[in-house]
Formats: sequence, structure tokens, C-alpha cells
Amino acid sequence: MSQSIWNKLQMIDRRIIYWILFIILMIPFIRPLGLPVSITDQTKDLYNGLRSVKEGEAVVINISSGVSAWAECLPSLVASVKVLNQQKAKIIFWTSFVDGQLTYEAIINKVPTMKDRVYGTDYVYLGYYAGAETGVAQLAKDIRSVFTSDYKGTPIDQLPIMKNINKAEDIKIVLSSDTGDVCDYYIRQWRVPFGTPVAEIGIAMNYSAYQPHYKAGILFGLSNGSRGGAELEKLVGELGDATTTMDAINSSHLLVIACIILANLGYLATRGQK
Amino acid sequence: MSEVLRKEVVYLITAIVALTMIVDYFFGIQQITDAASMIRTWAVVISAMALALGTVNLMRSHGNIVRKRVPGRWFYSGVLIFFFVLTTLLGLLNINDPSSNPIYKWLFDYPYTSLGQTLYAITGFYIASAAYRAFRARNIDAALLLIAGIFVLLKNAPIGEVIWSQLPVIGGWFNDIGQVPAMRTFLITAAFGLLTYGFRTLIGRERGFYGEVGGGA
Repeated sequence: MSQSIWNKLQMIDRRIIYWILFIILMIPFIRPLGLPVSITDQTKDLYNGLRSVKEGEAVVINISSGVSAWAECLPSLVASVKVLNQQKAKIIFWTSFVDGQLTYEAIINKVPTMKDRVYGTDYVYLGYYAGAETGVAQLAKDIRSVFTSDYKGTPIDQLPIMKNINKAEDIKIVLSSDTGDVCDYYIRQWRVPFGTPVAEIGIAMNYSAYQPHYKAGILFGLSNGSRGGAELEKLVGELGDATTTMDAINSSHLLVIACIILANLGYLATRGQK
Repeated sequence: MSEVLRKEVVYLITAIVALTMIVDYFFGIQQITDAASMIRTWAVVISAMALALGTVNLMRSHGNIVRKRVPGRWFYSGVLIFFFVLTTLLGLLNINDPSSNPIYKWLFDYPYTSLGQTLYAITGFYIASAAYRAFRARNIDAALLLIAGIFVLLKNAPIGEVIWSQLPVIGGWFNDIGQVPAMRTFLITAAFGLLTYGFRTLIGRERGFYGEVGGGA
């Protein structure tokens, strides 16, 4: 028995959907749409927080996002570091991810102004810390008990940037970039006991989990995946990877909505027959 | 040491550590703070050692698969072991700065980075397919969820604003008025649950923490 169009609408082969998605993701690369991106409050607050850092003040960037999250987190990290360089802030990078160093190197490569800054004096990468929340709690109290040297093996006391910096109170702000719940550790172990302002640069999936913290004023800013990155790039005035990604977000979101509508039209039309 | 005594020692150590951390967090007594700091440093070191233990376990597990020639699996385990050994050796050749080794850097910059990003990107295809097959307005609740989801999708994508300037406003309403209070409730409830779990663990009523089966009373 031949099936009605409504039944067929509910049973489109998934390979067809994959191909359609592939093609519509390619179109913006050939002909970019370049639709305007409006700035949300949480990104604006993140940007203003970065702008409030004064020359010589120390900022920690916790990298808990690996290469798989580059599409969502890296543009925001790059834009944030650009702002921090303009503010002449001291930047301390560390990571709780095994491939965090790749993210650190990608930031350094993508921020042109990093070459004007001196490693060890203006910025430093301390490397990997283990221990999850316990490690983060200990970093708040005594950085030197977790890191005795930077990732190249230079003793921490020989790094000018680390002079007079050893605990949460010595840090102006913390940016946590993660794909899970690492920002929670910084909220619990840095923000609440010591009052150190914390912001989250996360994947879009994290947005709903961290929004209550932002709304309550616990996070001073929040970057929502690629969208947050595109907004930050617009605020910084240097469009980059996230702005390009927005076209793919537009087309893929429209496809998902179209798929849902088609399937539900078929479902509603055939519901009485079942 | 008897089984009972061994368990009691574990309970006692857990209780002492937990109390030390609680007193340090809330009261900041110098001697307790110093002790807590030392315990946390131990925890960080033990966690780092656990990585090494995990590595040994990984090699043993995949080594067994290769040795037994498990059909359909041994080849992949062999690839894992080969690249693990290769990467480790290359890293050890330049132990102070492994990324200065061009082959080591190439392994991370090209195969690892590309594969990592590809695996994450592929989920987009599954999500599109899953959205098509699973999201059905079977009842009022599911219909409301679908409508809210579509508005939030259009809020996040800039094209929503282009289609109609009020779409992000409606999506924002679902987000701020619908999602945030629900997530806040969830977070607070989970925190209370965690407190209860911690307290039960502390008094020895929650045995799952100690690796025992069956939980507590």
C-alpha cells in the first residue's frame, strides 16, 4: 500500500537530513549572509568587566575546554585576551584539561598583540593542575602549592608576573572557559569565599546552567557559545571566527525548526488514523 | 586488620577530613586552615598520581584485547597503544618543552585537533536528525515544550531577529521567566540533596561513597 505524503513526511531518511544540513552549512562559506548580531546584556557585562581591569592587575584564565570546544569557546577567549592586552593586564593561564595547552597556544597564535607582550612578565602559562574542585580550592589559598613552576619548568618565583601573586585576593578577575561544571568550582571556591569576580566563557549548552548565577550577580558576565563570541568580537571591533560561524548557526537552526515542523505536520495529519 | 576495623578507619579518615574542610571554610582558624591546605595539596598530588594509574589501567585493558585478538576490537586497541607509546616517547625526548619536537607538535596540531573538532561537529548532524524524529507534539506539554524550544532557537540565531524583531523578545521571555527559575530551583534542590548526602556520608549512613553496595539506612 502506498503511503500518504503525511506518512512520508514523518519518515524522511536521516541520510537525506544529513546531506541537506551539509549543503546548507556550505552555502554561507560560498556566500556569507553576514546578518547583524545584537549584543546581549551578559556579553556586554563581560566586556565591561574586562574593560574595568587596570594596568598591571592580574587576571586568571582557566582553560577547561579542549580542541573540541574551539568553535564555541575559542573566539570569546581570543576576544577577551585582546581586551586584556589593551588594558595591559597581567594574564595567568592555567588548565584542568589534558589538551588545554593546545587552546592556550591557539589563543597566543590568534591574538596579534601577544607578540608585543613579554612572556613571564605580562603573561604566563602555568600548565595543568589535577584535583578538580580540590585543586581549584587550593589555588585560591596558595597558588605555589599547586604550581611550583610554569609549563616550561621555570620556577614560579623567577617569573616577574607572579611577584606578589599567590592567592585569590591577588587576582582581579577569573575567566573560566569550560564545557562542563568547572566554573562552579570557581564560584564556590573563589567567588563566594573571597569575592573574586568570575565570568564564564562556555559552550551554548552551559548557558542555561549558568544563567541563574549571572542573574543573581554571582557571575559578572557570561559568554554563550559561538553567539557570545560573535557578540564579543563585535564589541572589540575585530570580527573573527565566531562571526563567520553565525551564518552556519542561522542555517542549521532554521533546518532544525523546519524538520520539527514537517515531522509534526505529518504526525498531526495522521494521528487520527492510528 | 579485620574487615570491620578497616571500614571504621576509612569512615574515621573521611569524617576528620570533612570536618577539617568545613571548619576551614566557615571559621578560618589558622591551625585548621594550615591542615586543610596540606590535605588539599595531598589531594592534588593523589589526583595527579591517579592519572598515571589510569594510564597503566588503560594499557593493561587494551593490551589484553590485543593479546586475545578480540574480534572487531583488537585492531583499534593496537592503534591506541601504538599512538600512546609514540606520543609518550616523543614527549620524553623533549621533556622540558615537548611541543618543540616537530613530530609531537604535528600529532597534536593536525590529527588530534582535527579529529577532536570533527567528533564534536558531527553531533550537530545527530541533533538535526534526532530533532526530526523525536520532537512530536503528542500532548499539550510536549507541544508547549516544542513551541518554547523553537522561540529560544530563533532567539539564539541572529536570523530570528531578521525574521521578526519580537522573536528574540519572546525567546528571552521563555528563557528568563521559564528557564531561569526552573534551573534555579533545580540548583538549590540539588545543593540541599548534596548537603544531605554529605551529612549521611559523614555519619556513615551512606555507604555508596565507600564503595559498598546497598547504600545506608
